[in-house]
Amino acid sequence: MTLLVLLKQRLRRDRWQLPIWILGVGALALVAAVGVAQTYGDAAERQSTILLSMANPAILLLRGLPNGSDLDAFVFFQIFTYLALCAGFMSTFLAVRHSRAEEETGRAELIGSTPASRTLPMVATVIHGVLANLAVGVLVALGFIGGGLGVTGSWVTGAATAAVGISFLGIGLLVSQFARSARGANGASAAILGVAFLLRGIGDALGTPSKDAQSMTSAWPSWLSPISWAQHTAAFSQNDLTPLLLNLALAVVCVVVVFTLQTQRDSGASLLAGRSARPDAPASLSGSFGLAWRLQWPVIVGWSLGGVACGLLAGGLSKVVAQLTTANPIIAQTLQALSPGQKDSLTSTTLWALFGFAGVLAAACAMQTVVRMRQEETTGTAETLLATPLSRLRWLIDYLWLGVVAIAIVLLAAAVASGLAVLGSGGHWSTVGESFQAAAGQIPAALVYLAVMALIFVLVPAITVPLGWSLLAIGLVLGMFGSLIGIPDWLKNVSPFAHTPTPSVDGTDWSGAILMVGVAIVAGILSVAFVRRRELRT
Amino acid sequence: MNPIIETHGLEKRFGRMHALDGLDLSVAKGEVHGFLGPNGAGKSTTIRVLLGLAKATGGTATVFGRKPWEDAVAIHRRIAHVPGDVNLWPNLSGGEAIDLISRLRGGITDKSAYQQRKARLCEVFQFDPSKNGRTYSKGNRQKVALIAAFVTPAELYILDEPTSGLDPLMEAVFNQEVQRIARDGSTVLLSSHILSEVEQLCDRVSIIRSGRTVETGTLAELRHLTRTVVSFAGDSAPMITGAHDMTVANGRVRFTAASDTLAPVLSTLADLNVQGLVVAPPSLEELFLRHYGDEAAADKLEAMAS
Repeated sequence: MTLLVLLKQRLRRDRWQLPIWILGVGALALVAAVGVAQTYGDAAERQSTILLSMANPAILLLRGLPNGSDLDAFVFFQIFTYLALCAGFMSTFLAVRHSRAEEETGRAELIGSTPASRTLPMVATVIHGVLANLAVGVLVALGFIGGGLGVTGSWVTGAATAAVGISFLGIGLLVSQFARSARGANGASAAILGVAFLLRGIGDALGTPSKDAQSMTSAWPSWLSPISWAQHTAAFSQNDLTPLLLNLALAVVCVVVVFTLQTQRDSGASLLAGRSARPDAPASLSGSFGLAWRLQWPVIVGWSLGGVACGLLAGGLSKVVAQLTTANPIIAQTLQALSPGQKDSLTSTTLWALFGFAGVLAAACAMQTVVRMRQEETTGTAETLLATPLSRLRWLIDYLWLGVVAIAIVLLAAAVASGLAVLGSGGHWSTVGESFQAAAGQIPAALVYLAVMALIFVLVPAITVPLGWSLLAIGLVLGMFGSLIGIPDWLKNVSPFAHTPTPSVDGTDWSGAILMVGVAIVAGILSVAFVRRRELRT
Repeated sequence: MNPIIETHGLEKRFGRMHALDGLDLSVAKGEVHGFLGPNGAGKSTTIRVLLGLAKATGGTATVFGRKPWEDAVAIHRRIAHVPGDVNLWPNLSGGEAIDLISRLRGGITDKSAYQQRKARLCEVFQFDPSKNGRTYSKGNRQKVALIAAFVTPAELYILDEPTSGLDPLMEAVFNQEVQRIARDGSTVLLSSHILSEVEQLCDRVSIIRSGRTVETGTLAELRHLTRTVVSFAGDSAPMITGAHDMTVANGRVRFTAASDTLAPVLSTLADLNVQGLVVAPPSLEELFLRHYGDEAAADKLEAMAS
């Protein structure tokens, strides 16, 4: 009975949030199925795309493992990783929101003092999370079926997506037991999800093509990733549900450990001991920039580690590309046919594609500085700051500077890592230089996101966080999947990422980048101009 | 002399809700001014307007003769503020938060003097500055704001319900600190709904309700508005000129008397040779309750009308 009350409370609290996630994932499945069918309707075209992907590990890393050139299997190859990522994010956020965040705000104590036992709220959260993921699974299946794909494979894809989500529900709950704060728990869960994505990507990128060069076997790193387990269902081609047992086993293990810990520890306590703090502030903590840096540096380090991972892949894979083309004659022929005498340009494409990801990380990191500013406002610490002789203007400008610094640090981390990887695998100094060029190419789009986010914060503070992240997601989908699902160019060009310079035979075109810098400056100036007239709003 | 804080007909609307509805407030230099009102009366909103964190939708407000919205920074250089709801940065220690606020206020010109003042305040408030912000209780968070306010001298202290969450021992320490800054000639605006605190500390008081000032004056002036409660042992009510609301219950006779008629009333009582005489001094509480009572009565009327 109590369980039902707790479950209803969770459903009610998430009544807007979860439907958006669930419908969003379903819509992505539908759009991908329809879009891919239009863009790659021709079997020969699909075959050559698969060949190209095999030759270019960056594509495998960003998409998945090809499983034959049938349209249905091809759609699964192109989109499944992202469906799984969405389900993963939805689940970790849900897990943290109903466990660590509740304890941090003290609401858990309120519930804990009622007849609800110590573990009952956790049971409710697990049921809530599983239900949400089942809904995602159903919507994905319906999306694929609606897009005209085979029914069995569609349901397998739905099951695989839900299974990944349920694994990450367990991981999110486990991380919440250890973390000191909801923010920390969200960050750590997202990092684990990122690592799972990467391990799958590396495993797939290093996989072995089959003889007919239409499907691949992944390398061992894939088997460390829950996303990859689910991908091994190979929906439409093999429809094998057994790998999902791994996902479920992981979830069960996590949940069992969570319940054991939950019955052992005090409510609100973290399993990581708190450090004793210094009684006096260091000299660096003397103004709003110092404070912003102090609050944000762990976040910046986190995103920079992501940048390092991108950089290592970008630099390391350029060598693999060269090897693959010599090892597999079919792939070499295809490439030769596609771009005669341009072996180097393929290395370039790989490098820039991966740096595109570092650019997204840099943009997200910069946006988080604005999110922090909004959090300062809602928690009331901004009021404390702004009641001192610190002006609103100076406060905003300091955070904007920190955003710029954050972009620079993330991209520099990526560029240096890429350079070291290139040199480590015996590459050319010119490729090192290109790494830095590719990193610089990502700055404009990231700046646009920083400045637009600041403008949102100044004009419509209440929706800073959802609107900001939605814009990033839209930009990503349009920029990354734009050509895949065949949307018109003008729509694609809405995305700042679409204007990031790309290398071509005639050299790199920087005009889009300059335009983006202009947009960023205008948005930045507007936000600075409007902040003078803005009240604090909690 | 110009008042330090002055508002005339101050209004603040949030949509259709009138948080402030023609508020008049005047705080003279060097006085400790009590700002009384029930929860939701508009005390914190007034303070946010005075700090330039919110913009008034009508009326005028000046602090040090300047407009708070336009000259916020210049005003902030001369004031210390304790917010009503103190929140700290979770990963900054209490000591670091105090240092940060003090540095922003420009209070650390002489480092060793500052350290001494900070150490003294941490000691009197029994505060451990070396814990992370997220581990402090409400009372300890309040202490951070109080220490940060008192550690750097200011011309005007704006304190929004500063003793909420403090135990009685710490309230006494707080009272001493307010008396100290008042002796140094600082002006204090003290918002509160605790009457004893205001009676102990304040020279003048403004009582607000529903965003409007309903009474303002010195404690002595306000006490004139209230009546002394007198009671003695007895079973029947004697005739006493100047006595009002006479009741007899549980073997005691109770009545109230206006402050200026108290002396003749007392001499009548002496003639009657009453036993167990208790004279309760006029308290703000009565006045305060009268305004609360108004609100309760108005609510009842509204409820009946609807």
